Amino acid sequence: MKFTLLVQLSWRNLWRHRRRTLILITTICVAVGSVLVLNALLRGMQMSMVETAIDNLNGHFKVVAPGYLDDPGIKKSFRFEPSGHPELASYGIRGWTSRVRVPAVIRSERETRGVQFVGVVPGSEDISFLGDVEIDGEYLSGPDDRRILVGHALAQQLETGVGRRVVLITQGVDGGNRESGYRIAGVYDAVGTGIEKAFVFTGITSVQELLAVDAVTEVSVRLTEGVQEPPVLHRLTRTFTDLDVRTWQDLEPQAAMMHEMADATVSIWFLIVMGALIFGLVNTLVTAVMERIRELGMLRAIGMRRGAVIAQVVIESMITMAIGISVGVVLGLLGYLWLADGIDLSAFSEGLELTGIRPELIPRLWAQDVVLVVGLSLVLGFLASIYPAQRAVRIQPLDAMRR
Amino acid sequence: MSDLVVDCQGVTRVYGDDVVPVRALQGVDFGIAAGEWTALAGPSGSGKSTLLHLVGGLDRPTDGTVVVDGKKLNDLSESQLSDLRLRKVGFVFQAFNLIPVLSAVENVEFIMQLQGIGPSERRERALSVLDHLGLGDIGERRPGELSGGQQQRVAVARAIVTNPVLLLADEPSANLDSATTLELLALLRTINEERGVTIVTATHDPIVMDHASRRVLLRDGRIESDESVSSPMLPV
Repeated sequence: MKFTLLVQLSWRNLWRHRRRTLILITTICVAVGSVLVLNALLRGMQMSMVETAIDNLNGHFKVVAPGYLDDPGIKKSFRFEPSGHPELASYGIRGWTSRVRVPAVIRSERETRGVQFVGVVPGSEDISFLGDVEIDGEYLSGPDDRRILVGHALAQQLETGVGRRVVLITQGVDGGNRESGYRIAGVYDAVGTGIEKAFVFTGITSVQELLAVDAVTEVSVRLTEGVQEPPVLHRLTRTFTDLDVRTWQDLEPQAAMMHEMADATVSIWFLIVMGALIFGLVNTLVTAVMERIRELGMLRAIGMRRGAVIAQVVIESMITMAIGISVGVVLGLLGYLWLADGIDLSAFSEGLELTGIRPELIPRLWAQDVVLVVGLSLVLGFLASIYPAQRAVRIQPLDAMRR
Repeated sequence: MSDLVVDCQGVTRVYGDDVVPVRALQGVDFGIAAGEWTALAGPSGSGKSTLLHLVGGLDRPTDGTVVVDGKKLNDLSESQLSDLRLRKVGFVFQAFNLIPVLSAVENVEFIMQLQGIGPSERRERALSVLDHLGLGDIGERRPGELSGGQQQRVAVARAIVTNPVLLLADEPSANLDSATTLELLALLRTINEERGVTIVTATHDPIVMDHASRRVLLRDGRIESDESVSSPMLPV
């Protein structure tokens, strides 16, 4: 039996009860549209968390000495010659930088705080938040710059500001204290006050001189957008055989967990919405079949085969889903475009800071998510038609004669 | 008897289970020659509809054999039976059973679509049959827009458009008034005489019985009488 005939018959059957079909299609498109919009919001949160985790000096990968993460300090440093690894350029890496990061105490004339003292190569920090941070005052001029950058929140705590001097105290390789005075070149505004309070930056040579070492504590690597992480991780691990190569997930396990939870949330929401919808679809299809017992019996009596009866019900379900999904995708895209400029969540910024989500949420709608929602919806539509189709095929030709 | 379109031998049909069996037919021997118009008559429960269903390949006998156009139905699979019904048998139902979402001409075309006949040929044949049955002007109307008599005539058109060897009609006049019944019977007579289509009707209606060339009376699952009518009532 020709497929076009079944499609024609199914299409007309759908519009026997125009209102019922329209309600069902409306429900499907609202469900699909809402799933896509929610998906875009969750992806936006997810990517915000990931970007924050990567921007916060981690990069996609960080190369450290073995044991550094358990006991971070200058004792766990290593020598790194950038010119000794020309192959890094071929790994799909957007940029990399080396740093010396040590725990320290910062003291102003009024207050004292514990911080992470980070020696950086300012020109290479475009791979971290430091590259595009707002600064009151001046940015560091180069690796030899002996001035420091402090966060806005820390400056407030220390009751200090641009041009003032502070003292930083840390431990050298021998365990003895090293301290030095630094002038504040600039005060930076980061996304979260936690970062502003935690990090004090200066030129890398300045820290190395203070600690009397010619080594670094970390090399941070950032990938070009779209480059897959696992192959690069593999190559980095082979390049730095004596060192630990850690991913941002290792370094920010909480962000990694929330990243995975966002994936699960999208799936659960989809299943709840579409699951409820499928019950409605099954119910409608069963009703449609029961209304047509005599007709389906007649079709069987005049020679329509069982397979064609099953196909007719399945096609009705798939047509309904296809229309609902198509309109739903358009609805979802419109919703996404409406929100595409971002949602201002600054009223919740303190709470969001804990999760790494930025105060401006930019939705992200990925083609793969749209394809997944459309694909799974069609699969569910097909599954929903199986039971009604079974009911239809049980109808015997004699039912047409007896009714 | 090689010219038998239908040949039933020792046909028994038992419904229900062993505890409460319902013997709808009990060892019926029955044959229908090509070109006959046979009316199966009898009271409710006599077995006339059961015999019609068995002859049409809609049901299978508990015992005995049913042969239609040389094919023993007992041996056919379900899909083979579907194919036989599609190509050899035309059905006219008591409740017309047209597809409500298709127009009259599409209903007639539908069975040819099932047979895989091309669009131009089936449209031509459908229009030709409708025209022949006096329905040329209502081809584009849907069943809901037709009278009961018109619907039944469309059902007849659908049943004969594929040139079946056997036309089965189950209580074809049950939902028609007398005048419309007479029109339908005249139509069946024309089909029977002009096209040579073998017709079997199961009916309570004496008017229908009067128009058949052979009357088979069933009672309690057995044939009580079987008479040929030399001059059945002529069409009005």
